[in-house]
Amino acid sequence: MVRFLLKRLLLAVSVLLAVSIVSFLMFFALPRDPVTGMCPKNCNAERLERVRTELGLNDPKPTQYVNYMKGIFVGRDLGSAQGGKCEAPCLGYSYVNSESVTDTFARVLPVTLNIVLPAAVLWLALGVGLGMISALRRGSLLDRISIGLTLTFASLQLYFVGAVLLLIFVYSLKILPTPRYVPFLENPVEWARGLVLAWVTLALLFSAIYARLSRAQMLETLSEDFVRTARAKGVAKRKVYGRHALRAAITPIVTIAGIDVGAALGGTVITETTFGIQGLGRTAVEAVRQGDLPTIMATVLVSALFVVVANIIVDLLYAFIDPRVRLG
Amino acid sequence: MRARLATAVGGAMALVVALSACSKNTGDSGDSVDTNKPRSGAIATDPKDSLGPAAEVPGAAKGGTFYILRESKISHLDPQRVYSFAGLMGSQLYARFLTTFKDDGKGNVTLVGDLAETPGKNVNNDCKVWEFTIKEGVKFEDGRPITSKEIAYGIARSFDPDLTGGPTYLQEWLADTPQYDTKWDFKKNKTSLPPGLTTPDPRTLRFEFSKPRCDLPFAVSLPATAPLPPDKDTGVNLDNMPFSSGPYRFTKIQPGVEMVLERNPNWDPATDAVRHAYPDKFVWTLGPDQNTQTNRVLAGTGNDAAAVASGGVPSELLAKITGDPALKARMIVAATPNVFRLSINTTRVTDLSVRQAINYAIDRSSITKNLGGPYGAMPLTTLLPPTTLGYKKFDAYPAGESGDPAKAKEALGGKPVNLVLGTGDETWQQETATQVKNALEKAGFTVTVKPIPADGYLDFVKKKDNPWDIWVDSWAADWPSGASVLPVLFDGRGLKAEGNSNTSQLNSEAINAEFDRVLALDPAKQADEWSKLDEKLMKESAPAVPLYNEVVSVAHGEKAGGLFIGSIFGWPSFVNAYVKQ
Repeated sequence: MVRFLLKRLLLAVSVLLAVSIVSFLMFFALPRDPVTGMCPKNCNAERLERVRTELGLNDPKPTQYVNYMKGIFVGRDLGSAQGGKCEAPCLGYSYVNSESVTDTFARVLPVTLNIVLPAAVLWLALGVGLGMISALRRGSLLDRISIGLTLTFASLQLYFVGAVLLLIFVYSLKILPTPRYVPFLENPVEWARGLVLAWVTLALLFSAIYARLSRAQMLETLSEDFVRTARAKGVAKRKVYGRHALRAAITPIVTIAGIDVGAALGGTVITETTFGIQGLGRTAVEAVRQGDLPTIMATVLVSALFVVVANIIVDLLYAFIDPRVRLG
Repeated sequence: MRARLATAVGGAMALVVALSACSKNTGDSGDSVDTNKPRSGAIATDPKDSLGPAAEVPGAAKGGTFYILRESKISHLDPQRVYSFAGLMGSQLYARFLTTFKDDGKGNVTLVGDLAETPGKNVNNDCKVWEFTIKEGVKFEDGRPITSKEIAYGIARSFDPDLTGGPTYLQEWLADTPQYDTKWDFKKNKTSLPPGLTTPDPRTLRFEFSKPRCDLPFAVSLPATAPLPPDKDTGVNLDNMPFSSGPYRFTKIQPGVEMVLERNPNWDPATDAVRHAYPDKFVWTLGPDQNTQTNRVLAGTGNDAAAVASGGVPSELLAKITGDPALKARMIVAATPNVFRLSINTTRVTDLSVRQAINYAIDRSSITKNLGGPYGAMPLTTLLPPTTLGYKKFDAYPAGESGDPAKAKEALGGKPVNLVLGTGDETWQQETATQVKNALEKAGFTVTVKPIPADGYLDFVKKKDNPWDIWVDSWAADWPSGASVLPVLFDGRGLKAEGNSNTSQLNSEAINAEFDRVLALDPAKQADEWSKLDEKLMKESAPAVPLYNEVVSVAHGEKAGGLFIGSIFGWPSFVNAYVKQ
């Protein structure tokens, strides 16, 4: 178990390292000089050159990369133009936001986590639950309704469902406030009221895929020999479905959920834009639009971190769910 | 005078966003949008004009929280770095300047003293030495008095190359070079002041320039003259929490999310001729896009009733608002100082009669209709925007709203003329180019359209050797004086290989001499002269075809009172804002 974990962590670190090098190189390949954006007026060659030197952009690229990584692990001094000392984990300074990227992330990351994690719980519960019930009551009215509904939602777009829900609950019925993020510890009720539309929208769309997937998986598992054997041996239906079949059916769902949650954390941009909430996704898009390279770089790294971590968690879960998987 | 590139680009981009979608809107022209309101303006000569408190707004009441909805964060809050429209208008809440504009929202503006008792004293009447006397009783948010020292320190720190983003007029004028930060290094001289700036006593601030700078009273209305005590200077981090000298102070700033301004108990209304500070709080809610903002204030749920959708009304919602009198009453519409013209490259189109013929031929009504009609653009026949002090409307080439092909043909006198029309690739640019081409072809011109690369539109048209005869240009001045428009755009003595704001490349000795003459006048006497010079330029040189002013439409909730579009920057002003009880 420990060996497995170490191996996975090592792999994760090397993936992140590769991502960091590639994105750092992209930083320089982008068709935009980071310095011109910082000095929009009266920029002449001389002043540009001074800014470049001050920012260390004239250092050899490997040196710049090492400095950047050093900032993440031990912090570094960015100079007065970039707010001075930058504590670890230092992700650089954004001229567009006039603050250290770490500060930006400390603010927007909780927002995205609070959108995605509760939504994920909701969509998994809804999706897997519906899928299981449909599978067990195959051909019933419930099954057909559930298939129809999930098919409908799976083919809808987030910004459409989101806009319709906003129109109904915020602008017409006026029973919900316009979506916003209130920290849970500050006011749990407002936290839920402010984000519930985002959760429901995400859940409706994502659960459709999970419902269809878990229905298919469950049906397949139910036709396996071991299920018939267990039933033949007189094990209770409830126990066969709940313990044996579900466990076998859920493995691929966990895999996909891991990827989905990881990716959603790095890319909730459509959700955040639809509901006008400032999280990681919108920050990333704005950074790209405004050529805010330090923020883009940090977004790439953090998103990669999410996907990698989600995958490690998925691998660990396998061991608990499926007795056939042995870690080692 | 410097080209304000940031504005020119920003303005053009804002227009792209605001207008490209408007093209489907046919615009009901029978509407009574008050964009042609008479305007007048002056520099206050009576010191009483600069005294507080500001006259009460009828119906206004104190208290409540006023909300401002906006999509993205304001690029800078540090007064020395503020230069965006939202920043310029928003900073009035937490900062005070040497001078400021008293704007009645109906187009009448007066430049008055803000921290200064008057809009400046031209000591020797040569515009080289200016003195400002600081009002008594003006204080920072911590209760310390504001003196000339802190104002001078604010101006000094704008020399710091770390503090990018702000205007550079004062720095360049004081240092007498665009390379001001090499002439005077702020970081090495934090306890001294830039050359030419002195504080003879705590209530006097003195500027000494080597050249006449008659526009100084206007230039010091920009937020860069906001005071700051040296011990509160946090360098680039001041952007995250400015130190207040105005009626409100920041109590919370979450970039991209929310900014909360609460009353500054040390602000004394008796010292302020402009700000009212009716609401107890101002809250900037950041995040919602233009569409969401407008929908929110129209629905008016909860806090949104006392909110303004600062992003402007998107074209999709215009029909809904204009079709409902109750909603329409909650939309404010005004022309901005952002003016668009068809520049004529006078080094390529050398024949004056051809340039005059182009002026006769242009069909303004079809161009403005394409841009959203009365809610997007207002036809213009002058080079100066109507918000300019001393503005007089004239039409040097009367050809009706939709152009006069016959008169244009007459001016051409049968000469065959080929014109190369440059156009960017944004939808509104292409549609405008089509209108221009159609109108010119009706008048007998042969027009070839040649694209201008989008990623450097301004760079390309500012090059001396560019391959276009005509193209659409825009200009937004930093203050409503002809001096910030005409000499910048048409003085040909500084023409360089690239980076020319004088994109028409006009270089007329007679006109240049006029610029020198008017610029040397006392600013109060310049106003009428600029309008006359505008007419002279159009009649004798015709270096461009004035096209239109950008128009903004902004919706607000039913409890949001006292809002108007500021005449100087064409953005909502909050100095009169109040929450209806």
